[in-house]
Order: sequence, then C-alpha cells, then structure tokens
Amino acid sequence: MALLECRDVTKAFGGLAALQGLDLDVQVGEIVSVIGPNGAGKTTLFNVITGIYEPDDGRIRFDGQGLAGLKPNQITKLGIARTFQTVHLFANMTVLENAMVGQHCRTRAGLVSSVLRLPSQRAEEERVRERARQALAFFGPRLTGYREDQPASVLSYANRRRLEIARALATEPKLLLLDEPTAGMNPVETQELTRLIGRMRDELGLTILVIEHDMRVVKGVSDRVVALDYGRKIAEGTYEQVAHDERVIEAYLGRRAVESA
Amino acid sequence: MSGARLREGARAGLIGGAVFVFLGMVGMIANFAGLSLVGSQVTLGLVLMLLPALIAAATAARPRVEAGEVRRLPTPAAAATGIAAGAVTGAVVAAALLVVEVVTVERIRSVFVSVSPTLVGIVAFHRTWAVAAAIHVAGGAVLGAAGGAYRSLAPDVRRPVAVGLGTVLVLGLLQRLVPTILFELGLRSDWLYSRTTLGLTWPGAGLAFAAGAGGWVIWRRRRRWQPGGPLERLAEGERATRIALGAVVLVGLLALPLLAGSVISEILGLVAVFLLLGLGLNVVVGYAGLLDLGYVAFFAVGAYFTALLTGADIVAVLGTAEPAFSLHLSFYAALPIVILLAAGIGILIGAPVLRLRGDYLAIVTLGFGEIARIVFASEWLQPVAGGAQGLRAVTPAPILGIGFRQPQRFYYLALAACLLAIFVSRRLADSRIGRAWTAMREDEQVAEAMGISTVKYKLLAFAIGGAVGSLGGALFAVKLSTVQPDSFTILVSIVALAIVILGGMGSIPGVVVGALVLMGLPGLLAQFEEFRLLIYGAVLIAVMILRPQGLIPNVRRMRELKEEERLQDAWLRAGEQAGEEPEVAVAGEEARP
Amino acid sequence: MTRAATEGLSGEGVGLRRVERFPIRRVLLVLVSVITALFVVIGSWKTLTLPAGRGYSAGAWRDFLVLGVAQGAVFALIALGYSLVYGILRMINFAHGEVFMMGAYASYFFAAAYGRSGFLDRSPALALLILFAVAIVVSSSVAVLLERVAYRPLRRAPRLVPLITAIGASLFLQHAALGLFGAQTQGYPRPDALKGSWSILGVPVGRVSALVVLVSAAMVLILSYFVRSTKLGKSMRAAAEDQEIASLMGINVDRVIMLTFAVGGVLAGVAGVLFALRFQFVHYSMGFAPGIAAFTAAVLGGIGSIAGAALGGLALGVLQSIGPALFLSGFNVPSPFQLKDVVTFSVLVLVLIFRPGGILGREEVQKL
Repeated sequence: MALLECRDVTKAFGGLAALQGLDLDVQVGEIVSVIGPNGAGKTTLFNVITGIYEPDDGRIRFDGQGLAGLKPNQITKLGIARTFQTVHLFANMTVLENAMVGQHCRTRAGLVSSVLRLPSQRAEEERVRERARQALAFFGPRLTGYREDQPASVLSYANRRRLEIARALATEPKLLLLDEPTAGMNPVETQELTRLIGRMRDELGLTILVIEHDMRVVKGVSDRVVALDYGRKIAEGTYEQVAHDERVIEAYLGRRAVESA
Repeated sequence: MSGARLREGARAGLIGGAVFVFLGMVGMIANFAGLSLVGSQVTLGLVLMLLPALIAAATAARPRVEAGEVRRLPTPAAAATGIAAGAVTGAVVAAALLVVEVVTVERIRSVFVSVSPTLVGIVAFHRTWAVAAAIHVAGGAVLGAAGGAYRSLAPDVRRPVAVGLGTVLVLGLLQRLVPTILFELGLRSDWLYSRTTLGLTWPGAGLAFAAGAGGWVIWRRRRRWQPGGPLERLAEGERATRIALGAVVLVGLLALPLLAGSVISEILGLVAVFLLLGLGLNVVVGYAGLLDLGYVAFFAVGAYFTALLTGADIVAVLGTAEPAFSLHLSFYAALPIVILLAAGIGILIGAPVLRLRGDYLAIVTLGFGEIARIVFASEWLQPVAGGAQGLRAVTPAPILGIGFRQPQRFYYLALAACLLAIFVSRRLADSRIGRAWTAMREDEQVAEAMGISTVKYKLLAFAIGGAVGSLGGALFAVKLSTVQPDSFTILVSIVALAIVILGGMGSIPGVVVGALVLMGLPGLLAQFEEFRLLIYGAVLIAVMILRPQGLIPNVRRMRELKEEERLQDAWLRAGEQAGEEPEVAVAGEEARP
Repeated sequence: MTRAATEGLSGEGVGLRRVERFPIRRVLLVLVSVITALFVVIGSWKTLTLPAGRGYSAGAWRDFLVLGVAQGAVFALIALGYSLVYGILRMINFAHGEVFMMGAYASYFFAAAYGRSGFLDRSPALALLILFAVAIVVSSSVAVLLERVAYRPLRRAPRLVPLITAIGASLFLQHAALGLFGAQTQGYPRPDALKGSWSILGVPVGRVSALVVLVSAAMVLILSYFVRSTKLGKSMRAAAEDQEIASLMGINVDRVIMLTFAVGGVLAGVAGVLFALRFQFVHYSMGFAPGIAAFTAAVLGGIGSIAGAALGGLALGVLQSIGPALFLSGFNVPSPFQLKDVVTFSVLVLVLIFRPGGILGREEVQKL
C-alpha cells in the first residue's frame, strides 16, 4: 500500500496554475526525489500535502486517511513532518527547545498538570527532552553538548538546516518532506547529508520525499525520481531514466538548447 | 575638532531646547517645582530643567561607528560638542522667554493654559530677561560640558555615577514611603530626609550616592570574579541564595503594610490590582504574542459579575434598589464562577478573530473592550448593571469574620492573588504549553506545521489572561465596593500594556517593576497624577525605540543581548573540546518573507 | 550511534479523533453570520412596523441619512490618512485620530478670535479658508513629527512594535493637548452663513452638512488626482508596492513616507475643521472615537485604497446614524444611540472575520 497517495491534485493562485492534476504515490520505506525547474510547483506540492494550502481539486490520502480539510498541525500529528526551503527555525529558542517543540504533538500535558507539575507531566518533560536529544544526536556532536543551550539564531547556516531536520525528526514522523535540504551547503556537508538521508530511512524506518536541485544528491539518495514542470509530472522513474528523459532536459535547458545539442 | 561635531551638538541642542519648552508648556516644570528631592534647592522641576541640556549633550557626544569601529570621542572634543549642545538648549529657552516677555504671559495663557507667571518665574529664576537668558546659555554650556565629558568616560567610571545618581533620585521620590518605614521600625529618619522640604538632606543624598555607586562597584567585582560561564552559575549554590532571597522578599512583602501605614497600603492595593492585570496581559502579549487592546473587558466582567453574584445595589429613582439579576453568594464562592466565566468569554471573543493578523487583532480586541464598557453603561442594561452610575454597596469579602475592605488587609488579599498568578504564569511558561506559545510567537505558520494547534493555544492564552484579569476586576470591586463603567475605559487596557512593555514582555519580574513604577509612583507622589498618562505615552514610545526588551528582560531576550559574550565562550570551548575549527556563527534572525 | 538510541524517533503516527476532524471554525462562522443576519432583519422589521406614535417618520429617516452622509464624509477624510500610511508602511497609525484633534484644536483658537471680532460672520469664506489652512499646517506638522520621532527608528522592527509605539503616541499627544490647552470643552463658533439649511431636491440639508460633503468630495478627488498623476503620487504608489525596489529605482523612500504622513495630516486637518464646525466643540479627547471609526471605515472599504476609504467612510457614517435606530428600536432598547459605537465595532469585527480585504481591497497572501 502506498503511504502517500496524491490523485489529480490541482492548485492555482489566481490564474497561475501551480499544480495541474498531479498524481504521485510514495511507498513505505521509499526515498523519492522531486525535481524540476524553479516554479515547477515542487514547494506548492509540499504545502498542499502538509495542509498549508488546501488543494482546489483532487485528493490526498496518507496511511489510508484522507487529508482534506485538515490543518497543518493535525497532518503533522498523523505523521508527516517537513522542513522549509528557506530555513524557518524559532530563532530565539535554544537548539534543544527547537527540537522539543517537535515533540509537541506526541505529548499531552495540559493546563492542570503543567501548573501543578504532576508526576506524569514531569515524566513527560523528561521524555520530551530525551527524544529531542536523540533527534539532535542524529547529526553527531554538531547540535549537542554546549550547543543545546544556544539560541538557534547563532548557528551556522548548515547547522540551521540540520536543526530543522532534527526538529522534524522529533515529531516522530512516518513521512519526512525535505525541501532542498542541501541548499547553501558546501560539497562536504552535502555529501554528509546525502548519507544521513539514507540512514534516516534505514535506521528510523522513515519514508522520505525530498525536493532537491543538486543532481549528485538526487542520484545518491533516490529510489525513484519524479520530475515536475508547470505543475505537471513530466517524468518518473529511476535516476538514470529521468536524467536522460528528453522532456526533463528540455524543461531544464529550454527547447532551443535541446535542438542545438 | 570638526565643524560637523559642533553642528551635531547644535542640532541636539535645538531638540533639547524644544523639549525644555514643551515640558514647561504642558505644565510639568511648574508642577514638579513643588517636589523637593534634595535640600531646598534641588526640586524635580529643577531636574527637569537640567536634563534637556545634559541629555542633548550626552547624545551629541555619543560614540559613533566609524569605518566599522565604535569610536569614543576624546574628552575635550566630547566636552566641546556638549558645550555647543547645552548652550543652544539654553539659547532656545532664552528665546522662548523673550517671546513670553514680548507677547506677555496673559495673552499666551489664553491659548496655552499652563504658561503661568509662576512658570515664567521659575524658568527665569525670578530675574529680568537678560539675566535669565545669560544664566540659561552659560548654565547650558556648563551642563553640556559635563554631559559631553561624562559620555566620553569609560563605562567603568560612568556606570557607578549613573547608579549613584539613580539611587538619589529613587530615594528622593520615595520620600513618603521610606521615612514612614524607618519611623515604624523605630529608627530616626531626619538624617536622611528633611522635615521641612520632605526631600533628602544633602548629607543623606551624599550617603545615598555613595551607597549606590559603591554597591554597584562591589557587585560588579564579585560577578567578575565568579568562575565559569553563565551555565555554571546556575549551580546549586545559586539555588540556595535564590531561596533565601525569596524568603526575605516574602517576609518583606508581608511586613510592608504594617510598616507603611494605611495610606501607602491603599496605594499598594491598587498596584496589586494592576499587577494582576499586567500578569494576565503578559500571558496574552508576552507569552503568546497576541496584542490584546481590549483587556479591560475582562477587568469589567470580573468586577460586574462579582458584584452581581455577591450582591450589590443599583441607583433607582428613589434611593437604591436590587438589580434585576443578583445572587448573594459569598465572595469565595463567586470567584471561581467569575473566573470560569471570564475564561469562557476569552474563548468566545477569541474564537472568531484568531485568524486575524496581529495588528488587526489588536484593533478588534480594542473594539470588544469598548463594546463591553458601552454595554455595561447603557440604559438598556440599566436594570442589571446600573447604567452610568453602576453598582454600589458590593458585598465585602471576609474570611473568618475578618473583612478585607480596610487597605492593610486588602493588601494581603491582593498579594495572595498576585502570588497565585505569578505561580501559574511561571509554571506555564516553563512547560509544554509555554514552549508552544513561544514557538507560535516566533513563527505562527511554522509552529502550526510542527504540530502545534495555534487556535488552541491562542484560545488558551486568551482564557488564562481573561481569568487573571477578571480576578483583578473581582478584587477591584471588593476594594472600592462600587463598580462604575468609568473605571473600565480603554485607558485601563493601555495602562496594563504599558506595565507589560516597560517591564519587558514575557518577564514576570518586569511586570512587577512595571506595576510598581507606573502605578506606585503616581500614587505616592500627587504631583505625578496629573501627568500620569502623558508619561505612560512617552514610556511606551521610548521603551519601544530605546529598549524594546524592557527594563528587566525575559531570559530569552536577555540571551539575545548577551549573544556576543556567549558566542566567544562557545567558540573557545568548542576549539578545546573538539580540536577542530569552530564554525563561524551567524547572529541575527532569519530574513522572513 | 546505535540503533537503540534512535528507536524512539521512528514514527507511530496517531490517528485523529472524530472531534478533531470537526470543522468547528467554519460552523462558528456560519453561526455568527446567521445570527447577525437574523438580528438585522428582525430588528429592522420590528422597527419599521412600530406603531405610528413610537416609530420614526419618513422625515426622520431622511434626516438620519443626510447626517450619516455628512458624518461619513468626515470619516472618509480621516480614513484616507490611515489608508495611505497603511499602504506604505503596513502599520496602523493609531495616533492619527490625535493628528486630527490637533488640527481642529489649533483652528479653534483662530475661530474663537474671529468669532469674537465678528470677522467670521463678515467674511465667512476667507475666515474658513484661514481656519482650514491653520488646521492643515498644524495637523501635517504633527503627523510628520510623529513619523520622524516615533516611527522612523522602527522601520525594520516586527509589526507589533510600531503599533505599540503608535498607541503610546496617541496617549502622549492626547495628554499633551490636555496639558497645553486644558481639560475644558471649548465651544467652536459657526459662521452665520452656515446656520440653517438649504433645500436640495426638496430635501432640507443642513448647510454645514452640505459644506462637509462638498469639501470632502473635493479633497478625495484632488487626492486621487495627486496619487494617480503627479510624480510624487506615483512614487508613493511605487513605495507602497515594494519599498526596496522603489528605493533601487531612485525613489527616496524616507521622503516619500514623510510626504505620505504629511498628506494624511492635510486630510486630517480638513476633517478636523469640518468636524468642529459640525459638532461645534473641540476637546483634547475628541480624536479617539472618530479615529477608531475612521480606521474601521478604512478596513471596511479595503485598507490601502482611496476609493475604498471614501466608500467605507460613507457606509460607516450612514450605518452609524441609521443602524442603532433601525436595528435596536424594534427590540425596545432604550436610547439606542448610546450603542452607536457598538454598531461600529460590530461592523469592524464582522468585516475582518468575513472579508479581511474589505469591500474593495484584496487579501494579502502570506508566503512561506
């Protein structure tokens, strides 16, 4: 059974169609890359899946449940976590607190237990802290130790990206959506993250949908690649198949370049 | 010494002069001339007359960023700039005096009501125009030189001076409180405060200055010696001192009304009521980041419903009458109902408007606040709420036969409520709920994408804020024993906001200080009452521009301020531990779309 | 890292309970709109079918309408000030009502002097021109000063910070006026030429109301010409669209913003004199209620749009003058006009809930 099932998903902004009848299936345990030129509708796809936008048409099912009408926080609770194209951390919260926020939807301490600090609440806080640390530890020593208590705003760019992924991991998702996770990273960092994406699937059992521009990353991580252009799926298959698909090359380089080649 | 510096000084002087003239024209200088701070010469009015030149000079001579470096002016140059600023300030005042001389006080007074012969006498030092002008220009130059030179000193010298002067000012302003306490403790106070002027004596002022400056130096030195970074400081030893400190504060708070007498207890009771409002609003504005300008609605709901549930009278054609709806519960039975009701109203008000952007939310809540007042005051609800006259003879709130209407006792009731509110706020801030609020405040959309139901947590903030505000209203009703719609204008919301802003959004000690300064000071000094709201307005503007984090910032905001220091710490330690090159950290917030 | 250490993170995913899927917000909104509609319809019906002795005559409704239009014209002028500033800075200039008050108050001193000397009755046109000029100069100076001192340092601050400053500025200006001019309400004289009423198409229209509407309409026309066709107006529009791009195009954004405040001040000054002529008083707190009403009008019409502000002002003015009587009298509410501001705020709340972009505006799309 497909973990994520998008059928005929359509979304337009004013007259501009960002997604036009898109079908997309993601199987459990798969890593799928979404590629396409700027404005192809990749991020819109993520926003529609995570409930930030409501699709104009079509339906999305996750794990056997329809997502129509659900709010982003409810979708996160169902098990979809994401990162953002431009990093969006809680800049004045510490690294650890950022990750702890991710645990929010897996915990339940309410008003009374928080004010009275009941044993259940204290145990839960302890667990939240521990899970958050686990998520941070996934990136080795970079986000642990003294860095835990630093505000997120002082982190380096690459570490911010890592923290954002850790925060998403802390929501204990089944499906992880990564929006250009390696943007702005240097080659060494990119390589490392490529390996980590694989490990997230292998060790955490995650299913991953990733938007990526760097073809080496795409090649390195993907079980399957989906290419979008003008909100439509123009190619789908293994990296090799998609990379050599004429329509994909055309979408990236423009018609004339293909003709002259 | 460049001409640019002198021009800068002259510009600052023009502004300083304008401020001086404004302070005179709104009546502050004349009014505060009656409030003696030190001896018979130094009144608050005189301080107001000195400050424009001093501040203009200090501002003009402030260190500048040049070629990427912060440069402090050398003392002579700073003094020269200051002289320009001060002399121009004085010249502006002299010019204003000349205008008064030519046009005559009476004519000006027909438009600007505060320009009185008294004011002109004070500003002109009761001399002819020419002499007064000379004094202002020369005096301005001297003050300017002092202000400019002060700014050029090293912080190690500047800070103790500022703290010392601040101590003198605060003690001078507390001239009604401190002597009373000393007297009740059986101590003499005439060495510190003068019996005739009520202000500090000169030796007393000297002592206060020395104590303030000296205390600062000693405190700084101790802090610097302390080993370890900021993390180590939160170790066990610190905890013990904090508990001890807390105990001392608590004993002090409990003893205060016994020492201060009923007049000051009355003021403290009012401070406590507004502290409650501040604490409640702090949950909404400080924690959840929702600017609620209609907070007074909860205050009103608390007061009216307490009165109606415990029993009160309305004014009828002949004497008083029972309202169309009222119960005769005891205060303590009514309180939970009132609080729940207010929380419910918070949710009801919040639910339809929560999706609105911050600034729209502010205006809509303002609308709700006004609606509450107008409806309570309307003839339509007159049979229940008493219309413009409101409700009278609210049933008092005794425990075991001890009434709380008397100021000293009311203080304890209000103190208990404040401590409860502080306890709840602190626990909430430091919990899953507090984290959700912080995340929401920082970035609503992302918080939602991370699984936080923003609707739920906004409503929760409104409900808790509403509950605390209604508690304030309930106490207010019991304290005054009357409830009138006039007490629930938009100004209450703005005062509560000013308390939160001055202290520092999200900071509980900040709210306490905010309430003490903004409500306590005007209570203690009758001279402030007239300019209370003018000062609040100025405080809101000045804090937002100069120190948006408030007087006592929330730890998180403090962290932002200390970023640089901590970064260096981290950098060094990272190098030691990992033996690798630490990453260069980028400070500052992300660019938001 | 061992596998066991990260095991806790692999997701289980929790199903949502039925309650959580319930679209509570939508249901609430529908409920609110149904209740409002019922309230308005039933209230109006009951009012209009009141027995002759207790209801309102056709003439009364006509008078309400005329007064409402005049009131709305003043709101429109003030609303334009909010709208212009909001268009460029995306901030609510909460102190704009005080800018209006300052202009009205300043003109009062001249009006009072002219009233005493008889100049006001001898040559009312010239006197009124001078009053307008005084109010315009004072209001726009206050507006520009306000921008320079209180708002400019906060250009890049988070949105709520300048709003809080603006609230402070409002409080400050109001109580500065109290300190400067005193607490008493001052009677604003009305020239003889404006007493009584004219008959327009058989409808008696108060002369002041006619003047108010005429002057306001003229100001709106002049403003829309200015914004559409002059170079300064165009740079204002450019800055409203995108400040950074505008400054790259060589527009001095600081100057444009100052100009915007000045223009808002000019309109507020004119509105101040008109308001004072109509209600015949000035007071230090007179700016608050019209300020809020005008802001509501701006939101109602679509903030950021000139036509929207004008339309919103008129709509709100009429609603305020007809609404309480029409909706509330039928329910036997005594003195319904006490609740006039409740109508204002209810309109504001409803507009913001159901059509945050206003009648003519468009909703801002926030991008993530």
